[in-house]
Amino acid sequence: MYRFPEGLYCDVRIERSSDASYSISNGEVSGDSETAVTGAVIRVYDGDMWYNSVTNDIDSIQREIDALAELAKPRADINELPEVAVYEVNKVNVTVFGGEKDLRNVSRSKRIELVNSVIKALDPDSYDEIKNYRAAYSQGHTIKEFYSSKGAEIIQDYQSCTLGTAFEAASGDNVCSGTEFARAMSLDELSLPDEKIKAKRDRVLDFLKNAVPVEAGEMTCVLAPVVTAMFTHESFGHKSEADFMLNDETLRAEWVMGKTVGSSLVSICDSGDMINNGYVPYDDEGTRSKETWLIKNGVLTGRLHDAKSAAVMGEELTGNSRAESYRFSPMVRMTNTYMSAGDTSPEELIAGVKDGLYVYSVIYGTGNSTFTLKPHICYRIRDGKLCEPVRANVITGSVFRTLFDIDGVGSDLEIFNTYTCGKNGQSVPVSAGGPTIRVRSLNVN
Amino acid sequence: MMQREKISFTEQRSAVKIEETAVTGFQREESEKYSFRVYDKGFAGIYFNVGKMTDDEGFGKAEKNLVLERPYKYQLESGVRSRDLTEEVLTDRQLIDIANETVAYLKEKHPEFTMNGSVAMRRKTVVQTNSAGLDLSDTDSISGIGLSFKHRDSKDISDGYLSMEFRTFDLKKFTDMADEYLNAYLTPAELPEELIIQMQYYDLLNKLDECLDAERMALGTSLFSGKTGQKIFSDRFTLAHDVSDKVSWGDPFFDGEGVTQDGDRRVFIDRGVLVSGYSDKHIAEKYGVPHTGNAWRRLSDIPVNGNVNLHIDRSESTAKQLLDGRYSVFPVQYSGGGWNDKGGYAMPVQCAFLCDGGHFIGKLPPFTMKGELFDMFGDGFIGVTSDDPIIKDKQVLLKMQYGK
Repeated sequence: MYRFPEGLYCDVRIERSSDASYSISNGEVSGDSETAVTGAVIRVYDGDMWYNSVTNDIDSIQREIDALAELAKPRADINELPEVAVYEVNKVNVTVFGGEKDLRNVSRSKRIELVNSVIKALDPDSYDEIKNYRAAYSQGHTIKEFYSSKGAEIIQDYQSCTLGTAFEAASGDNVCSGTEFARAMSLDELSLPDEKIKAKRDRVLDFLKNAVPVEAGEMTCVLAPVVTAMFTHESFGHKSEADFMLNDETLRAEWVMGKTVGSSLVSICDSGDMINNGYVPYDDEGTRSKETWLIKNGVLTGRLHDAKSAAVMGEELTGNSRAESYRFSPMVRMTNTYMSAGDTSPEELIAGVKDGLYVYSVIYGTGNSTFTLKPHICYRIRDGKLCEPVRANVITGSVFRTLFDIDGVGSDLEIFNTYTCGKNGQSVPVSAGGPTIRVRSLNVN
Repeated sequence: MMQREKISFTEQRSAVKIEETAVTGFQREESEKYSFRVYDKGFAGIYFNVGKMTDDEGFGKAEKNLVLERPYKYQLESGVRSRDLTEEVLTDRQLIDIANETVAYLKEKHPEFTMNGSVAMRRKTVVQTNSAGLDLSDTDSISGIGLSFKHRDSKDISDGYLSMEFRTFDLKKFTDMADEYLNAYLTPAELPEELIIQMQYYDLLNKLDECLDAERMALGTSLFSGKTGQKIFSDRFTLAHDVSDKVSWGDPFFDGEGVTQDGDRRVFIDRGVLVSGYSDKHIAEKYGVPHTGNAWRRLSDIPVNGNVNLHIDRSESTAKQLLDGRYSVFPVQYSGGGWNDKGGYAMPVQCAFLCDGGHFIGKLPPFTMKGELFDMFGDGFIGVTSDDPIIKDKQVLLKMQYGK
């Protein structure tokens, strides 16, 4: 084990990753590769400054520790500093993706078979409108080790595999793209039925030919589960990350615990323990993951922390300190975040709208006080029925108002694993979930 | 006869972290990535490694990967050239001093704002050599400051972003920009009736990047399909892949297949006329279109089309001259929107300043900017500035509309 210097906090994070991918574009093999990368980050803290070093040479870790220690100023009470004192000391091995689940055992021939099955279902040659397509499978497996000067020793693993297709269709002057992807934590759970691919293809082709421009303005919107998932992540999830409010009196007053921040129909939870895309049993500071209810029945009940934010705000650790890889420092991030189900059927939610918009799918979203969703496929709702497909460019709303404007929550909760969350230049895998919801008013352009 | 090629990518990065307007951390990283490639009987065997590896071991592993039969039948490039655009390399100590100086300035001059971000230095070298006589090397070293700012009374996580990069660091230029932004933030202004957007244009070019993909153009899924040789944009609009010394910013002068351009530049739209899309060798051959040398450098596989570094040519007029007495709107925080498949553009602007071309006048209320591709770069295109007001980079001026 490593010799950690006296009077300094130090931790070491080692990652060993193995990735593989296979793809076909327009009938040609466009990608077929396997890569393996090992790297580590060494962090030393003296109470004032963090000194970090990133290396691909695992044998150099002790040298890096010693070199960083030369830059720092040791202090006898380092472990009593609030930010250091809260670090958990877990000694555990939680590798759960071994044996038959281990994606490193998936053969190249299996990867080829999976991609070919997607192309067969998409059947691009039978549709003149489909001009450009790609089908792809990718997998990644990582073993992470974490050691700290306080005594933590954690070994854990993470993996995921993704299968799907992206295609572009054109008819006359109209162009439309479509995607259908599935991601799972092991191959036996990866499910992308042919029917789902065919249904998306047919929906995109219908949208291509029949979509009309949206009438911009404020309107009632019914969000499909995949859109609610994005909405939950963007509109509120990012506000629950405590690192943005550490010593900011305005924001701490705005997001004080116990405050009613939305409709009583709204409850939102984050948990790194769920074996989904945001699975993080121990975060990148060695903290055990916890289930954190951010909103319960419209009332603010929790927020997400790393050690610093928990120490500064005097709240419990939640296990949400994550880094994209060994090349980055951890910060507060979501894991698996979802809005809980209600008891209304999606059909009832749509039936209650005289004139509005059904947002079927979304490309991406952002989350400031004014959150945004970039929709993909939408439908006009008239007299409680779905009508013509509609092209909309962007949907916006105020987070301070929209959570109150949710007047219906569906019973059809779904968790989506295909999300990647970006923050301050780092991307991490997350899952997001939600049921169909109805929002009284959103701005559509 | 089997040919060999090696691409190496080495990078040194150092960054000083700034949190809540205080220097809180320092990180350094050195990385070496190698792509060993052998070519035989129309196939490529490729081995990618992070970290040092001997040529014997790397090419040996690449040879074994010939069994994957990755197709590559094109003649390898030859030629020798080396470019190093480095002007200075800041030491770690200098970076920390700059960060402390920056924080001290901002704390004194703008205490009502909180800053988060970093001061960073990166030095990157890409080398491509092969057994056909190719030996290309490109190095660049860039330092910079990137800070998000938040006013103490704001309920937003961030109110905007201050970013500036240098080959020769100049703190005064950064603090002048910070003063311009943060002073204007405190002065309310009203949206002008005519919406002339003034901004760095890189975020607007992703649609042009998509449309100029020669494969998409050939397949009919680009808005530019069937328009080669036609006038599609304003006479004042010329768009090129440009990696010349004057324009390149960390972009190697050669593509993933070792192809170089005359003058390190290739024009795709010439004074409004669509010349061609961009392609690598495979796409050019497959669709019978001009080869433009735009292969993406994939270290673990054969190249793919898509390495473009698009720039709109500057006009001969400054921002003030282009505005001719009018005001522009300068978005500094915008997100959540983008282009649709039909070329429509809508983008919510969370923070923007009213601008006279050379200075910010005040902060504008949030709005949504809207436009159509062929209008924005057609009748609505005013030009790209000959000068670099406020942000030390060129800016586009174009007419757009307000969203509802």
